[in-house]
Amino acid sequence: MRLALAVASLVVLVVHGVVFRNQFFHEWERHQTAYIEQARSLAKTDRERTDLDARSPRIEQIIVSSFGDTHVDRCTTCHLAADDPRFMNHAEPLKTHPYSAALGDVQRNGQWERRHKFSDFGCTVCHDGEGRGLDTFYAHGQDEFWPDPLTGYVTQANWRKDFSPHLKGNEYMEANCAQCHTEEGFAGTPHVNRGRKLFYAMNCYGCHKIDGMSEGTLGPDLTEAGKKFKVDYLWESIVEPRANLDTSFMPNFHLPQDDVEALVIFLKSRRGVNFAETSLDRYKAHVANVAVVIPPGTAGEKAGEQLLGDRACTACHKLGDKDGGIAPDLSYEGLIRNEQWLADHFANPRSRVPDSIMPAFRFPADDFQKLTAYLETLKTPPPSNWDPQTTFTNLCARCHGEKGDGNGKVAWYIDPSPRDFTKQGFMASKPRARFVASIQEGVGGTSMPPWKQILKEDQVNGVLDYIMKNFARQIFVEQRRRNLPEANPVAASPESINRGEQIFELRCTGCHGRKADGKGPNSLDIFPHPRNFRNHWFVESVPDKRLFESIEYGVQGTAMPSWIDMLSTNEVGDVINFIRSLQTKSK
Amino acid sequence: MTPTKEPTGPLSALREFPQNIWNSIFRNPLPSTDLERSSTSFTNFFLHIHPVKVNRNTLRPAYTMGLGLMATFLFVILVVTGVLLMFYYVPSTTQAYDRMLDLRGTVAFGIFLRNMHRWSAHGMVAIVFLHMCRVFFTGAYKRPREFNWILGVLLLLVTLFLSFTGYLLPWDQLAFWAITVGTSIAGYAPIVGQQIKFVLLGDTTVGQEALLRFYVLHVAVLPAVLVLLMAIHFWRIRKDGGLSRPEKRPAPATDAGVVKLKKIYGLQGFVRGPFTKLGNVPDDSVYSWPNLLMAELFVFVLTISAILVVSLLFNAPLEQPVNVMHPPNPAKAPWYFLGLQEMVSYSAFWGGIGIPGLMVAVLLLVPYIDRGTAGVGRWFAKERLLANTIFLTLVILNVIFIVIGTFFRGPNWSLVWPF
Amino acid sequence: MTVAPPSHDKPAASAEAAMPRRRMLAWLSGFGLFASALLAVVSDWLFFKPRVTYGPSARFAIGKPDDFPPGTRIARDVERVCIVREGNKIAAISTTCTHLGCIVGIADTGFACPCHGSHYDQDGNVTGGPAPKPLPWFQVSLAPNGDIVIDKNAPVDPGTYLTV
Repeated sequence: MRLALAVASLVVLVVHGVVFRNQFFHEWERHQTAYIEQARSLAKTDRERTDLDARSPRIEQIIVSSFGDTHVDRCTTCHLAADDPRFMNHAEPLKTHPYSAALGDVQRNGQWERRHKFSDFGCTVCHDGEGRGLDTFYAHGQDEFWPDPLTGYVTQANWRKDFSPHLKGNEYMEANCAQCHTEEGFAGTPHVNRGRKLFYAMNCYGCHKIDGMSEGTLGPDLTEAGKKFKVDYLWESIVEPRANLDTSFMPNFHLPQDDVEALVIFLKSRRGVNFAETSLDRYKAHVANVAVVIPPGTAGEKAGEQLLGDRACTACHKLGDKDGGIAPDLSYEGLIRNEQWLADHFANPRSRVPDSIMPAFRFPADDFQKLTAYLETLKTPPPSNWDPQTTFTNLCARCHGEKGDGNGKVAWYIDPSPRDFTKQGFMASKPRARFVASIQEGVGGTSMPPWKQILKEDQVNGVLDYIMKNFARQIFVEQRRRNLPEANPVAASPESINRGEQIFELRCTGCHGRKADGKGPNSLDIFPHPRNFRNHWFVESVPDKRLFESIEYGVQGTAMPSWIDMLSTNEVGDVINFIRSLQTKSK
Repeated sequence: MTPTKEPTGPLSALREFPQNIWNSIFRNPLPSTDLERSSTSFTNFFLHIHPVKVNRNTLRPAYTMGLGLMATFLFVILVVTGVLLMFYYVPSTTQAYDRMLDLRGTVAFGIFLRNMHRWSAHGMVAIVFLHMCRVFFTGAYKRPREFNWILGVLLLLVTLFLSFTGYLLPWDQLAFWAITVGTSIAGYAPIVGQQIKFVLLGDTTVGQEALLRFYVLHVAVLPAVLVLLMAIHFWRIRKDGGLSRPEKRPAPATDAGVVKLKKIYGLQGFVRGPFTKLGNVPDDSVYSWPNLLMAELFVFVLTISAILVVSLLFNAPLEQPVNVMHPPNPAKAPWYFLGLQEMVSYSAFWGGIGIPGLMVAVLLLVPYIDRGTAGVGRWFAKERLLANTIFLTLVILNVIFIVIGTFFRGPNWSLVWPF
Repeated sequence: MTVAPPSHDKPAASAEAAMPRRRMLAWLSGFGLFASALLAVVSDWLFFKPRVTYGPSARFAIGKPDDFPPGTRIARDVERVCIVREGNKIAAISTTCTHLGCIVGIADTGFACPCHGSHYDQDGNVTGGPAPKPLPWFQVSLAPNGDIVIDKNAPVDPGTYLTV
């Protein structure tokens, strides 16, 4: 027992000793001692020598509060020679911080004078890193929990290996210069300037908001992207948009590395409101500045073609050999949509397709005209010798899917979703005439365009047969006679609408939502999604008889049940009056 | 012991619930016999601090005036009110003053609790000082109570330090400059003065570090030290045979106020002397239960009602927020250090370190210098005229200095007429 | 760990042999624990003494010599120091009044404190008012990059100058 006690006591003593000793002989003390020795050999006066002899290692710090929060920078504890011009050729950490005219430094009487004095700026304002740390690992921000590693010098261990090599380089520090030097053409921040131009040119501004620069609401707000995210996250978000959010519909722009770097540096410089860029006028000026240079005399369409390319429309749409994989094919747009439709759609996509996710780009009206004119020139029809299968694959499969199951390449981005032709219940319950009409005239308020200018009647029938045979695997079956009024027997009086509203609120809001926009609490689990009754283009294209049929008998192949046992004809009429009354509101 | 044969079904357990719970906590009956009265000292956790019997003299108000008890109860009030205040106070230079305003404005009973805390603090410093005077004037520091006196001096110093550290916390002009002056005085100590000031303040001037350190000292370190010293102080009282008392005492004129009891079960009787002493010599002791307890209760009620009344009538001061550029003129230390500050105005070293140091040294050495045992247990005993006179003189001098510093010193520490 | 049972035939001898060993072990334990306690006490002192403070640094650069033309006395209120240049000699005098810490202003005759009326001469000696001590002078040195560095933690005798 006593032996154990003695051993334990000695262990305690040794541990105490080790802990005690660790409080001395730090790494920074060694660096300081080396500096003092070096400086002593370089000293020119006796006074200097005596001062250095009397000097012992101590913690050096610079406290700076002029940049919002308080920075306590202890970098100069190791980097003691940062402001000593005699150490310019020394190895780090005892190397003089470089002087350069690019940093605003000037030469006076043969001596360099720093523009950004360390006593005024500290270190971390420009370099990031953890100012309070006193060993290399923490001070340089290599700790993965530290949000601001030494910009351009340090990558953290948990960063992706394929990105890390791109994230080093002095140019990343421009992001910090831009915190104060916010001018657009500032010579010292070429990468930030380039990134800013790309932000507009690649239409990022359409989806992303940056305070003072853009108003997009589809994507996350990037006003403080530089404050919230590290450069590896920013890089990843651009080259692999779906890396962190499976359901992201941000396109992959397949940008060259230099462009990605410029964008990352630009985004890293976004640390909150830039006071130099708040006015909306400046924003509009930006957009004008970013305008493509079109040689005078170029016809509108040619200009439109240029605009389309420069505005990166094909980051979402398909045209020619470019395909963003998110939005419909524009190749035959001149045959599918008319000028009015295109002009309205450009000004505000949701004025024509209420649930569209296309951003409302704030181009000048002039640009819209040019784009519309150009699209209207796309009138070359596809070859007429296409068989139905080829026709389907080239025209329909983009939305409806190769297998006709509604899972086309862009189906996920389209609301209402493309019809699933494999739903036999649905395909068997509708008259053929309706399908023909849908193909030829399109479906109002949805992304299904009218194909009548491209497909002749026999082609339409051919495609329809192909669909029914291969996907629906069902020929049309005559339903039992359904008792349906041709028109709504109930007059559209305020009382009827009121009654209809009550019934709607009681019965329908679970799926169709309290605002009748199809976003009820059950809607996310239902496929296809419940109809949006605010889509006046759609609702107005559907006759009362069809509404009666859908409500009383349900819609086979969807989750819409039949209400004939619970609602009388007059009640259904009230509901229809209510739904129709919404259309005047939503116009 | 064999278990009883009573039915132990759930129904009977339910019926006996209240009784069983009560009996499991209070296992002894409220005393009605002498045996029961005696046993309260070792059957109750809180009461085991009491001896079974105390000397009659101990309970005489005119003897102790209950000053020691008052100091203890004031400390209890300070701890309770202090902890309650801790729920709303933040020791940050940017937040402290605003929190004080909140305590005054929005916190329920905030003003009242703070007043109680402030006046109890001042009260405790004064009462502790008076208690020390009482102990001196009754010669109760003499053998075998020398070490208890030492503990008392230490308790006095810790109390002063507690008050000093708490003084800074409101972070108003009064607090800031009082502590600036106080710590400057501490800095006058030779050789170690500046070092001690640096460690105390955590910086060269009073700032966030000082506020944080004073807060930690005030709410954690010093209360723990005080409680420890108090515990030993009370233990020592028991081991020294209770409070001091005169050697022989004539029979009391009246037995009014003393509960007379038949049998005597003194533990000390068992331990110290033979049984035959009982009944053979005049017995000056009375049972702690209920006499001592009643006396303590009375002192407690007196203390707390005084504090409550004072807290109702007078608000603790809160001056302007700290302005480092604007020292008030004059800047005065807390009242118990004003005597020191007055002396410092004559000589920084002697006033700040020399004389106080000497005074503390003298206090600590007194029981070892004054060895005579005559006159213990009586106020101003003639046998102790010299000691009493010296002490009284020093006390009066100190009070005079404090009075001068408080009322007769104005801007630039010049003499002013206060009326 | 096993303790060998004492042999029955020689109990006295083994008991005596155990004594020095026991004493040594006790001494070792005592030494170990006592030395640890000592280290702990010293560590406590090191712990409480702050290694950094957060106020303005006591040692700072104040500009280049050319910023202080010969014959001038320039007061810097933020740093609470007055730079005096006479010819090629530079000195730094504190502008914190030694009475209660206000900032003294430059007067024709030296320095004057607006708070309680202390007066000092050109060298900081007290000429009137409640100030108890003269204004201290601080060490002035030249940094490698040409800055003048003042160290308020290093007071020097009045009349000490740096020659530039």
